Amino acid sequence: MAENEVVEREFEHNWKLYGIVLILTIIGELIGVRTFQVGPGTALLLPMLYALVIGMFLGPKFVKVVSEKDMSDASPLIVLSVLILVAKLGTTIGPNVPQLIGAGPALLMQEFGNLGTLILAMPVAVLLGFKREAIGATFSNAREGALAIIGDVYGLDSPEGRGVLGVYICGTIFGAIYNGIMSGFIASLNIFHPMAIGMASGVGSASMMSAAGGAAAAAIPEAADTILTFAAASNLVTSATGLYMMIFISIPLANLYLRILTGGRE
Amino acid sequence: MIRPIHAIQIFLIVAVITLVGNWVGMQQINPVDAALGMLILVAMVMAGWWLARVLPVPFPPIVFVSLLGILLTMPWTPGSEWIVSHTTQVNFLATTTPVLAFAGISIGKDLDKFAELGWRIIVVALVVFTGTFLGSAVIAQAMLRLTGQI
Repeated sequence: MAENEVVEREFEHNWKLYGIVLILTIIGELIGVRTFQVGPGTALLLPMLYALVIGMFLGPKFVKVVSEKDMSDASPLIVLSVLILVAKLGTTIGPNVPQLIGAGPALLMQEFGNLGTLILAMPVAVLLGFKREAIGATFSNAREGALAIIGDVYGLDSPEGRGVLGVYICGTIFGAIYNGIMSGFIASLNIFHPMAIGMASGVGSASMMSAAGGAAAAAIPEAADTILTFAAASNLVTSATGLYMMIFISIPLANLYLRILTGGRE
Repeated sequence: MIRPIHAIQIFLIVAVITLVGNWVGMQQINPVDAALGMLILVAMVMAGWWLARVLPVPFPPIVFVSLLGILLTMPWTPGSEWIVSHTTQVNFLATTTPVLAFAGISIGKDLDKFAELGWRIIVVALVVFTGTFLGSAVIAQAMLRLTGQI
């Protein structure tokens, strides 16, 4: 793994790299959050997306601002810098723990429904020719916690890392739109109880939850309050338990599933 | 291995970068207030990172940092209100920007491999989102039936 190469030599601060990241961060924040209408929904561009995309093109093949060494120095820093993000996430969950405890068995159990991600998406990824990328792409719905975990376990510059980053980027840009359209459609089929639709809308991302819950509430207006309440509660449960679920269940299961689907080749 | 002193320096450097981003992006937030909130977050990070090194369990630092963040901000933890009042000054999105900048620079070396994902990753992403929603809806429906709530 990438981290192991760094382990060999004595660590030295790469101040040029820190300077570039500072500049990318400022550029990203200056451009700011941009939204635009796509059909019935809103697409979202966030500061981190600009920082990511500009960062990708700074290498020797394009802008030539960063060297091969800078690029490999950046890899272990992802894993360390993401911890601040993880701490921030934790502090947003703590104050809501009383609501989580009162959430009830259905709300807690439906967290295992997130394994539906893996069950449904992994075969598609394998059919499309993905190998180890399929692990990162399909073990979760690829929000920030998932990036942190894959970065820690495989490194974001690994095939697994490319998979999770790919879905993360898609989710950031059109996750809200797609969840809105899908959830409104599924709610209108009347197969699921509004409480179940509400819980399903809490996928662990505030923007996706708002879009999914909002669209479902519009599709079943008489149950709007129920849907939105359960969407918010479920989103909270997902944010709180998701990290542990991914580490201890989803990643091992994704590896096993990929081995079975590829007949042991991956 | 990155030594503790280097890790602490890196946490502080990233904290400063994040604070600058937080200030540029959310100008209504007083940078001094946010700095205190950030120091609290960095303290949690250092403690969690240290726990992951010294405790004889093979869990990554994320697990401990996240647990500390949750435990220290629960309403019945003494001083949690004070912690939360300061950490809310640090915007969540601001903490994502430097991480993704590092990630972008790092994956720049495999840009061709990343480009190979192409349209296929969009298809997979759509199935991922559908699977997450349907999976939860199915289990929620079954559990609600089972517990007699519907």
